[in-house]
Amino acid sequence: MGALSIRNVKKSYGDTHILKGIDLEIDKGQFLILVGPSGCGKSTLLNMIAGLDDISSGEIAIADRVVNKLSPKDRDIAMVFQSYALYPNMSVKKNIAFGLEIRKVPKAEQEEIIARVAKTLQIEHLLDRKPSQLSGGQRQRVAMGRALARNPTLFLFDEPLSNLDAKLRVEMRTEIKLLHQRLGTTIVYVTHDQIEAMTLGDRIAVMKDGEVKQFGSPQEIYDTPANLYVAGFIGSPAMNFIPVQLGEEGGHAVVVLDNGSTPQSVRLGPISEAQRAFVGKQVILGVRPEQLTDPESAHSDRTNLQSLQATVAITEPTGPDTLVTVTLNGVKTVARCHPRAAGHPGQAVTLVLDPTKALLFDPASEKRLA
Amino acid sequence: MAELAYHQTTGAKVARYVIYAVLIAMVLFYLAPLFVMLSTSFKSLDEIRTGNLLSLPSSISFDAWRAAWSSACTGIECGGMAPYFSNSLKMMIPAVLISTLVGAFNGYILSMWRFKGSDTFFLLLLIGTFLPFQVIILPMAQVLGMLEIEDSTTRLILVHVIYGLQFTTLFFRNYYVTVPGELVSAARIDGAGFFRIFFKILLPISIPTIMVCLIWQTTQIWNDFLFGVIFSSGDGQPITVALNNLVNTSTGVKQYNVDMAAAIIAALPTLIVYAIGGKYFVRGLTAGAVKG
Ligand SMILES: Nc1ncnc2c1ncn2[C@@H]1O[C@H](COP(=O)(O)OP(=O)(O)OP(=O)(O)O)[C@@H](O)[C@H]1O
Ligand SMILES: [Mg+2]
Repeated sequence: MGALSIRNVKKSYGDTHILKGIDLEIDKGQFLILVGPSGCGKSTLLNMIAGLDDISSGEIAIADRVVNKLSPKDRDIAMVFQSYALYPNMSVKKNIAFGLEIRKVPKAEQEEIIARVAKTLQIEHLLDRKPSQLSGGQRQRVAMGRALARNPTLFLFDEPLSNLDAKLRVEMRTEIKLLHQRLGTTIVYVTHDQIEAMTLGDRIAVMKDGEVKQFGSPQEIYDTPANLYVAGFIGSPAMNFIPVQLGEEGGHAVVVLDNGSTPQSVRLGPISEAQRAFVGKQVILGVRPEQLTDPESAHSDRTNLQSLQATVAITEPTGPDTLVTVTLNGVKTVARCHPRAAGHPGQAVTLVLDPTKALLFDPASEKRLA
Repeated sequence: MAELAYHQTTGAKVARYVIYAVLIAMVLFYLAPLFVMLSTSFKSLDEIRTGNLLSLPSSISFDAWRAAWSSACTGIECGGMAPYFSNSLKMMIPAVLISTLVGAFNGYILSMWRFKGSDTFFLLLLIGTFLPFQVIILPMAQVLGMLEIEDSTTRLILVHVIYGLQFTTLFFRNYYVTVPGELVSAARIDGAGFFRIFFKILLPISIPTIMVCLIWQTTQIWNDFLFGVIFSSGDGQPITVALNNLVNTSTGVKQYNVDMAAAIIAALPTLIVYAIGGKYFVRGLTAGAVKG
């Protein structure tokens, strides 16, 4: 049963096409993340799910009911906004009760709901305050409380954490995740923070320029990004993209990596049909920094690790690891090494690459060669 | 170093005294007419004729005030300013309230419920704020004629509401564009409709702007003479017109003390409004976005 189905939804303002045919589908209880750079249409899509804005064409269904023509109040949704949008003239309690009053929930039941929500979010002591007397984190909680009070089929969050400081953001992130696990509600959550996307989502839709570039589970998106854009957007530090010429040897893909003085041949995984068509041509090798590391840190159970020599250009300690930048085929490439094995600028290091995790992309279409 | 600091402080002190002196001179200059009006209104006619304009009254007499309020002649009527004062009140209060409320409503629509052409509409309204009174007199007279409204007070209420709307709309619209639209979105999702959002959420946070409109409209409408003299007649005239008639009525000796008292009576409401609401006026004009 689909909790939310978005079918070929388009939105244009005059001649500007903001959404260019979005298709998404999630099940009850799933946590859907819409992630993408600023201006890609995330809020627009969310507003259309909420019914705050009309869609130009396509269909949106919530709990298997097409809602295209329903007003926001009839869609059985609740929304948390980036600016929290608390009613400044009302106390916290009134803010939470506002929607209940309009829906003519009996007074006694209202009190019960407010008490329950306040307890869940630990805002009992704030109920009589005005929003202006609250801190950012408290406002955030109240905004969530207002949404929870209504117990809707679908929760919509539009960058709810982006106005909080870094520490609070991490705390609230965990709390939202706990809340989701406890209540089992279906959530659509907009963010432009890829870490938030990875940690919170069951399903992630990576958007760009009004299109969904990939829709899948966090692990799918991380391990098998559909294209260069998704590969570069998710993951921090970002995936390395190294231009290489593709070869084939004994059923395996082979590429040559040049550290500036010696070209070294590297054997990747078994070559696929799609990859075979590119033999002898230029492709882009995608390697995440943690898949390029010092021999000691590499998984010892991997037998076919490929080692290569390189010269350290810069080291950036992060604490647990040190990011080592080397040059391969003329581009800066980041490896994640153990601090002890990181070396110094100018020093030669041995790195090992996990060939099963390395990805190949077509430079023209930017699609991954599966 | 120390010497330098010493010189600076004496310099600063001198500058400060100069500033005070200039300010006091200005205050005296501006207050002088009020002083003359007040002191003259408490003098007897004899004292006015023989005495000095700037001298204090030898004895306080309220006769002139009494006469101005209830028995001075404004043309052929001799009932003082009282009936006209009440005319002005009866005209001003509804006109101020209606123009403020409708202005708030216009501002709400023009900022939160934009429609095709709403920006053009707002631009046209803005042009209205630059139109001088004189330009609209003729068309206004025609419209009033067509509507066949006879009652002076009703006519003036209509005229002032229409002329004031562009200002009140401008004030409210400019305030509401600073209010995050998400507030309205949140209320819509909560199930609130067009009017509930306006009355329950936007109007309550508009107190500073409401104050600005009330003060602005009160002074505009109370002090208006031109519309009053043109669109009202006889015993329906506002106080500004009555004051003019009173001062210009020439039977016998000019009663300066009565004139002065009447002028002060006519100016009193706006003075009081400013004294009470002045700080709201400034606050409202500088009010920014609502936080949280
Ligand atoms: N009413 C409108 N008229 C014309 N263009 C609009 C309108 N509303 C939004 N847009 C455009 O639609 C695009 C997508 O906007 P949207 O707010 O959905 O972006 P977003 O992905 O939420 O970005 P952010 O991360 O900055 O919030 C933007 O380029 C914006 O300029
Ligand atoms: Mg947005």
